[in-house]
Amino acid sequence: MATVEVRDLSKRFGKVEAVKHLSFDVEAGRVTGFLGPNGAGKSTTLRALLGLIHPTSGTATFGGKRYEQLEHPSASVGAVLEDASFHPGRSARNHLRVLATTGQHPPDRVDAVLHDVGLTEAADRRVKGYSMGMKQRLGIAAALLGDPEVLLLDEPTNGLDPPGIAWMRGMVREQAARGRAVLISSHLLAEVAQSVDDVIVIANGELRAQGTLERVLGGDDGPATEVTAEDPDALAAALADAGATVQRDGDILLVIGMTPGQVGAIAGRAQLTVLGLAPRARSLEQAFMALTADRRT
Amino acid sequence: MSALLRAELLKLRTTRTFAALIGSALAISLLVLVLATTLGVYRTEGEARAVMAGDFTGLFILLLGAMGMAGEWRHRTITSTVLAAPDRLKLMIAKALSYAVAGVVVSFVVTVLLFLVGTIILNARDQFTLDASTLVDVLWRNLVVAAYLGALGVCVGAIVRNQVTAIVGLLVYSFVVEFTLFGLAPDVAKFSPFNGAPSGVIDVSFDGGTANFLEPGIAALVMIGWVALSFAAGAVLLRRRDLT
Repeated sequence: MATVEVRDLSKRFGKVEAVKHLSFDVEAGRVTGFLGPNGAGKSTTLRALLGLIHPTSGTATFGGKRYEQLEHPSASVGAVLEDASFHPGRSARNHLRVLATTGQHPPDRVDAVLHDVGLTEAADRRVKGYSMGMKQRLGIAAALLGDPEVLLLDEPTNGLDPPGIAWMRGMVREQAARGRAVLISSHLLAEVAQSVDDVIVIANGELRAQGTLERVLGGDDGPATEVTAEDPDALAAALADAGATVQRDGDILLVIGMTPGQVGAIAGRAQLTVLGLAPRARSLEQAFMALTADRRT
Repeated sequence: MSALLRAELLKLRTTRTFAALIGSALAISLLVLVLATTLGVYRTEGEARAVMAGDFTGLFILLLGAMGMAGEWRHRTITSTVLAAPDRLKLMIAKALSYAVAGVVVSFVVTVLLFLVGTIILNARDQFTLDASTLVDVLWRNLVVAAYLGALGVCVGAIVRNQVTAIVGLLVYSFVVEFTLFGLAPDVAKFSPFNGAPSGVIDVSFDGGTANFLEPGIAALVMIGWVALSFAAGAVLLRRRDLT
């Protein structure tokens, strides 16, 4: 049984279907990137896992149990959510003392996690004076308080400076090395690409791909073509109609999913003049964008 | 449950709002008592009892309870609170209990201080003073009302969620709606949650004894009804809500 299991999860908010029949696993000892553009349904999925929102259908469990069914939830799962908030008038130390008391964690864990995230010196200051990065570190400290087997991190690098991001990468790798399962969501592939083993890619609430980073985003480039044309707008429309994903960089069109020959044939049928045509290998970022681009139905 | 209760009490003690409101309750209670005992004439037990029962803790713990619960949404701390305590029913029980306990502790301190200061002033002015058994009777009634209003405030906060609306709503309802009701329909007003039923338990009327309040036992049952009703409504809403 996987450490984290999401099965056929759907969540509808009124007319909006935020998550559609999503299924994936997260394994222990690995860092899994949960990737997708803003509004893809990542936060909704994580909140469903944590019992904060009620799924319309499907299940989201840890070792077969829902979050609220875990014997010691905060000792099993640590979470940093995107909008981690704190009472502005309470100090970081007192915030963690409250959580440690609720979760029945040893009191000395408070000082330990404050040290781990580099907030020892600011621990007794009220949180309203904290920078965004310090608040993010405090959220991470709260997640680590119970020394959990699973870490769910929703856009954890938001507000962190470059040294903070580097620290975050080291922290998640260390957690995975200790056998913990880490699920880290981001809309920016570049921020997590260096630290993840596996990726789950979603867009519009749907699963687009899952597997190792290399297999999903690196190993299957597929065809891509750079093309310039006399009338780039018309050619872009013709290519899109033919099912290609077209990205525009000035007058240059990057056509994902087609070889130069296919692009040339479409241009010919549309009686459009092509000025330049060349194959182009996709970068990791382009592969990600192709996976998460809107699909025509 | 005990861990949750301890955590909620720790939350209460670790913000300045708690100290500020409790300090205000103490200051206003003492100010009113000193003015009343210094300027007034107290010849009967009823008159002395009325002034000694003037503990304002109930009002402040009511507001504090509403602020404590609604503040979880205002500061968006409800997410971390529910993550730490996923059983939302237990969470709400702990929250209501913690504010009830805080109400009892604060009311005890304030009421005992009122007894000390009031007795000294009344003695010095050769006015009527209460014996120990009467003071104990006043004390437990104050404690019951403070506990009730603390829990009721939490329930109101869970229902309303918007902190400002909850506070303004409570003040307007308590001081305008219920007092107006006392003038227009006293037989209905005596069942009201914030002034009517608690006044029945305290057994001291606003106007020196002419108002028609519920018998203390009946008033206590009405209070239990109010808190049960509002707790049920708040708990259902808290359990059903998606925390997005």
